[in-house]
Amino acid sequence: MSKAIKLPTKKLPFTWLMLIIISIVFFTLVSSVGYGVAEIGYQAVWQCVTQSCEKPIYDTILWQVRFPRMLLGFVAGFGLALAGALMQNVTRNPLADPYLFGIVAGAGLGATLTTFLPESVQVFSLPLAAFLGSMLAVVIIILILLQSNWRRIEHLLLAGVAVSFLLSSITSFILYTGDAFSSNRVIFWLMGSLARADATALLWILPVVIISTTIAMILGRQLDALLLSDESAKTLGIHVEKLRLITLILCAAITAVIVSYCGGISFIGLMIPHIVRPFVGITSSKLFITTGLIGGCFLVWVDVIARTALDGQEIPIGVITSALGSLFFLALLRKM
Amino acid sequence: MSSFVLQAKQLTWSVNNIDVVKQVNLNINAGETVAIVGPNGAGKTSLLKCLYGEHIQFTGDIYLNGKSLTALPKKEIAQQIAVVSQQSNSVFNLTVLDIVAMGLIPHKGLFDLNTDEDRSRINQALVKVDLQHKQDQQFNTLSGGEQQRVLIARAIVQSANILIMDEPTNHLDMYYQHQILALAKQLNITLLITIHDLNLAAQYCDRMIILHEGEIVADDIPEHALNQEQLASIFKLNCIIDKNPFTQKTRVTFAGINEFYGEKNE
Repeated sequence: MSKAIKLPTKKLPFTWLMLIIISIVFFTLVSSVGYGVAEIGYQAVWQCVTQSCEKPIYDTILWQVRFPRMLLGFVAGFGLALAGALMQNVTRNPLADPYLFGIVAGAGLGATLTTFLPESVQVFSLPLAAFLGSMLAVVIIILILLQSNWRRIEHLLLAGVAVSFLLSSITSFILYTGDAFSSNRVIFWLMGSLARADATALLWILPVVIISTTIAMILGRQLDALLLSDESAKTLGIHVEKLRLITLILCAAITAVIVSYCGGISFIGLMIPHIVRPFVGITSSKLFITTGLIGGCFLVWVDVIARTALDGQEIPIGVITSALGSLFFLALLRKM
Repeated sequence: MSSFVLQAKQLTWSVNNIDVVKQVNLNINAGETVAIVGPNGAGKTSLLKCLYGEHIQFTGDIYLNGKSLTALPKKEIAQQIAVVSQQSNSVFNLTVLDIVAMGLIPHKGLFDLNTDEDRSRINQALVKVDLQHKQDQQFNTLSGGEQQRVLIARAIVQSANILIMDEPTNHLDMYYQHQILALAKQLNITLLITIHDLNLAAQYCDRMIILHEGEIVADDIPEHALNQEQLASIFKLNCIIDKNPFTQKTRVTFAGINEFYGEKNE
């Protein structure tokens, strides 16, 4: 962990880079909706976007099924990648990830507890229960940190890991002893999916991601001060503990609201900031916005793979992100 | 109002009920270069940390330009005191420019953007420390002396009137030790420096404060502060004091451990 992550010394001007990234975003948003079980060509998609759809069925598939799903994928990917960049910068730990807080474990516990509810309300109560479970994990961690000597970053990360294991063990026990059908539903939900994409999901996730991004950008300069050391930041007039707490709450809110609707989509927060840093550098504002945009595109394409890789069957996106993330993680460790 | 830029009265700082800094009284005048010297564990770094607001659980009083340090917002302290601490490497490889730009932080509000004037300030600071050609280089790949110069450039951008340097010459060869101290002197601001090399301190500082077991045992110009008997007792090594033939400044030469105990056994 002592070796620094190397960046190329010559970087593309930021304006050019943003133009390239915006082009990637535009290409992703327009072309990804063409992929799916029902084949719709690019020309038909472009016609739907610019004029009106050639066939009424295209209208239904694009605007009511794929478009909300693509938008949810983009916003969720944006949020998870941003949360990862925030966590890594604020803890100065390149292996930090928002899931280290035990947020997914908390959401899993919340979702698992819904198996005790009547089946008719389970579908509606699952996101809410998952959100409450995530917040429970965050509150436990913050309480632990406020009680002890929480000035040390190691305490923060270890508290997250400990809470994560604790909540996971409770979840496993409930699933082991519970009804098999309900347990299966929770397990599938935990693997992650964008199938729940609807206006309600977007209505919850979008404002949280927009507000968190805005706050993160406003705090960018102060967050930069943390990059060298806590002591160095304090000599620049930064309230380190307060700033770290605000940032952690932002990460927790983003992750909790996304996990509630999309389940466990892991490794995006770890991977994307590392992919983006060599091109935009370390400092916060530029990193946050570019990481978010690339994270959004990444999740949209992962969802395309999830929907199209197997005939007539959808692969949970958490499975794909975990597979890619694990390989990336190993490559990252080899480089460090 | 006091004429001192930095003042400590009966300052005591403890950890685990052990007084690391004991009843320290200290007055720093504007524009003065003051060295704080003493053996390892004397409390030099702890004293500095109290003076720039890192350690806040102290007893006694500290005044910055006549105002109580504890009553001042952190940002206001950072506008008046810049700190170059012992070498620090980030796990993320920041560029020289990233670090020098951090000097703007105490002067910027949440919604302020960097202006052309800010960029010119950063550029001037890099020119002053002769690192403008390395502004895009990664901080962690620089030599120890260059890293210290980057931190001095950050302090220049910070535009503070007091610069506190904690053992800035550690791990540097002779040339860079002199280069860093000469550069700091050229800034013409108040300098407070902890340093192990008594001869460097005597050469570059107007005043020397000798700290031993948390207490000030000498506070005077180098010629008077460096006392043979006292130094031998504090550092547990015999020494002689004469003049550096090049600079005519006070010079201390220590004997080895065997010589000291040999003499003591006689």
